[in-house]
Amino acid sequence: MGQEVYRIECDRARFREIVRGKLRQDLRKYLSTGELIGRQGGRSVSVPVPQIELPRFRYGDNSKQGVGQGPGEEGDPVSGEAGEGEGGGAAGEAEGQHIMEVEVELEELAAMLGDELELPDIMPRGAREVPAEGGRYTGIRQAGPRSLRHFRRTYKRALRRTMAAGEWDPTKPEVVPVREDEFYRMHRSCPQPDSSAVIFHMMDVSGSMGREQKEIVRIKAFWIDTWLRSQYENLEVVYIVHDAVAKEVDQDTFFHLRESGGTKISSAYELCLERIQSDYRPEDWNIYPFHYSDGDNWSARDTERCVTLLRDELLVRVNQFCYGQVKSAYGSGQFKKDLDGALEQEEALVTAAVNDRQEIPDVVRAFLGKGR
Amino acid sequence: MWCARSWARGADMGATTQLPAELVRWREEIESRARDAGLDFFDVVFEMLDARDVNALAALGGFPVRYPSWRFGMEYERMQKGYAWGLSKIYELVINNDPTYAYLVRANSTMEQKLVMAHVFGHADFFKHNVWFSPTDRAMVDTMGRHATRMRELIDVHGQDRVDCLLDAALSLDNLVDPFQPLREHQSGVRRTLVGPSLAERAAQSFAAQTQPGEDRQSRAAGLPAASLPSCDVLGFLAERGHLEDWEREVLRMVRAEALYFVPQRQTQVMNEGWASFWHSRILTGGILNASEVIDFADCHAGATASQPGRVNPYKLGIELYRHAERVGLDLFRLRATHNDVSFIDAVVDEEFAERHGMFVYETNPRTGRQEIADRDWRRVKDQLLGDMAWGGVPQIDVIEEDGDGALQLRHRHLGRDLQLEQAGSTLAHISTLWGGPAHLLTEEGGEGRRIIADEEGVRVLETAEAPPSALRPDADDDDGAKRQQRA
Repeated sequence: MGQEVYRIECDRARFREIVRGKLRQDLRKYLSTGELIGRQGGRSVSVPVPQIELPRFRYGDNSKQGVGQGPGEEGDPVSGEAGEGEGGGAAGEAEGQHIMEVEVELEELAAMLGDELELPDIMPRGAREVPAEGGRYTGIRQAGPRSLRHFRRTYKRALRRTMAAGEWDPTKPEVVPVREDEFYRMHRSCPQPDSSAVIFHMMDVSGSMGREQKEIVRIKAFWIDTWLRSQYENLEVVYIVHDAVAKEVDQDTFFHLRESGGTKISSAYELCLERIQSDYRPEDWNIYPFHYSDGDNWSARDTERCVTLLRDELLVRVNQFCYGQVKSAYGSGQFKKDLDGALEQEEALVTAAVNDRQEIPDVVRAFLGKGR
Repeated sequence: MWCARSWARGADMGATTQLPAELVRWREEIESRARDAGLDFFDVVFEMLDARDVNALAALGGFPVRYPSWRFGMEYERMQKGYAWGLSKIYELVINNDPTYAYLVRANSTMEQKLVMAHVFGHADFFKHNVWFSPTDRAMVDTMGRHATRMRELIDVHGQDRVDCLLDAALSLDNLVDPFQPLREHQSGVRRTLVGPSLAERAAQSFAAQTQPGEDRQSRAAGLPAASLPSCDVLGFLAERGHLEDWEREVLRMVRAEALYFVPQRQTQVMNEGWASFWHSRILTGGILNASEVIDFADCHAGATASQPGRVNPYKLGIELYRHAERVGLDLFRLRATHNDVSFIDAVVDEEFAERHGMFVYETNPRTGRQEIADRDWRRVKDQLLGDMAWGGVPQIDVIEEDGDGALQLRHRHLGRDLQLEQAGSTLAHISTLWGGPAHLLTEEGGEGRRIIADEEGVRVLETAEAPPSALRPDADDDDGAKRQQRA
């Protein structure tokens, strides 16, 4: 059989390319639905694509009758699945309806997102280009551990030596490498810019944030994470929820928790600041806090406290602070106005309002479009 | 120390495709039993492959060398996923060729391999003796390989995208061939290669076509498929008469030849699987199985022939038809030689058979949308079975004529079953592309006439009073039949 059959890998690669093309085409659709979330593996997402099928002449609705086999009286339902008639087509033809799942690397998805929303790559922040130790086995040397032996080079050299020495016997094609033939891979360190980032997702979970609002936050968070993950090698995510008090939670809780009660936004900002001070020194980390709420705060005084916190403490430490206001039935949307009013000059602050899912791509672009 | 030979083997996936000694012995034993039972076949070459390789082959339709196409890749992806998740498993793959090639899956147990081998000899006998297979190309492995080479050359010249576009269009029509044509020609002794005339002949024809644009249809199409209209060989008609470049014609001819090769397999699925199952069951239970394998065999066999409620499994239907035929004293070998699924069911299904197997006709209850058992009368069951099988379950589309404006007129032979109009529209668009002009299709929906038009402005569906001729409708007493006008 040999290699011939593995031409099919080329066919498969081409199929995947076509699927990616389709995904790219429909990316806006995926951007505003939660379809991809929860399909996330470690490094890839499985994307459901309707099988790309060739159109054919097929029978339509009025012919859903056929022959079955089994017990039952006339008028009884045919048990089991909605059966298809015998001979409803050759096997290949009945399978057209399946949804196929295709694995797409997160990095690739991020690249598509970047293309679609025209996101700039994130510019390294000034002094932050601390070279980090990284590296790959790109070098070659003549000594090393057996496990790193470069098989091909060693063999070639041994073969060359054997032939040059006139010891090559085509009827008994043996090649015995000696010490001088051996090559080993070598580790080469290459300085890389520091690439650790932390995302703080903060969400208002007071009574006024409903299911739909949380879903919007979830979708936004997914795309933001996907993008930033493509920009940084090491990404950590911290989830904070707050009503009148803030606490740190895990991802699952973050999206599903429903509290009730008042809203004191400053509590979340304080907790965020605390975490930055204790674990994420701005010298070592790129910091991206995102805050989502419906725009209602407990009191004007607390809003003032938020503004102070942002101006004096948070904005100087972070790459960018994003506030996303999700429209809800009860929210006044006042908080965004207050922030915009008080902190207009601050470049590191981005605020955006989202009314429904359709606007998610725009918000994602607003947040990530600055390349900070 | 390394040896150069082992390097070469590394490139060959490390394992041999030959059967291990134990299976070679079983193969000889099973083959001699099959021959004693009266089966007769070309040489059968068994190869043993990993599941991955068998999946790859199956995705390629069983042939190791096919032209490059993303559709094979999609099929492969699907099969690999199905296999990885344990949803589907291929036992065997057998190719109608001389010699007959059969692939066994390395991971299967010895019992399964024995079963598969007996099953394969059944198929091989069927391929050799069934009349519908007699016109098939017995060197199809080579033919497919040649097509692949040619297609690669065309891709090099015209680019993958253009060839893919053309293939998409052609393949969506590959069930619109005349299934009876190969046999007709074979029997009238006009055995031609299915690809069509030789290069030299084609060159002469295309030269003639260019120099004599006004020639009459008959002379241009002489000796070519779809010579006379109306014709159900839509693909053949387009290949010869569509406004195409020569290389495009060539691709269409290749697609058509490959489609025709697979036609008998569709026409005889029940018979073929039934025959193979009938013999694997008989041969294995005739002393090939060890006592320790009997339960596993029964499990495996039952898995293959299980029918879900409300469905008919071709393996099950086939094997029971042969058993019934044997009981009523028919000559099985004669049956397998002369019939296709439709005529076979017509010859064998009777009241006793329908009753013994609890067969019924189901219909969709329009009120609940549920499928309900409608009738157990054996005549109705038989009618429905035959209706479903006719034309391989594919709607029949005929090319009627090229009208004065250069539009291609097609007609759907309705026979009481509507088309899925959206799909039909997209398919018609492909026809229009290959034709190089507008294409019209007459059909019906819910008893009303419909005309689907595909041209450069897109696809639209119009209501029309002219309905396709309904003379072939089985239910001529249909109450709205009177409204319908016959097309002049």
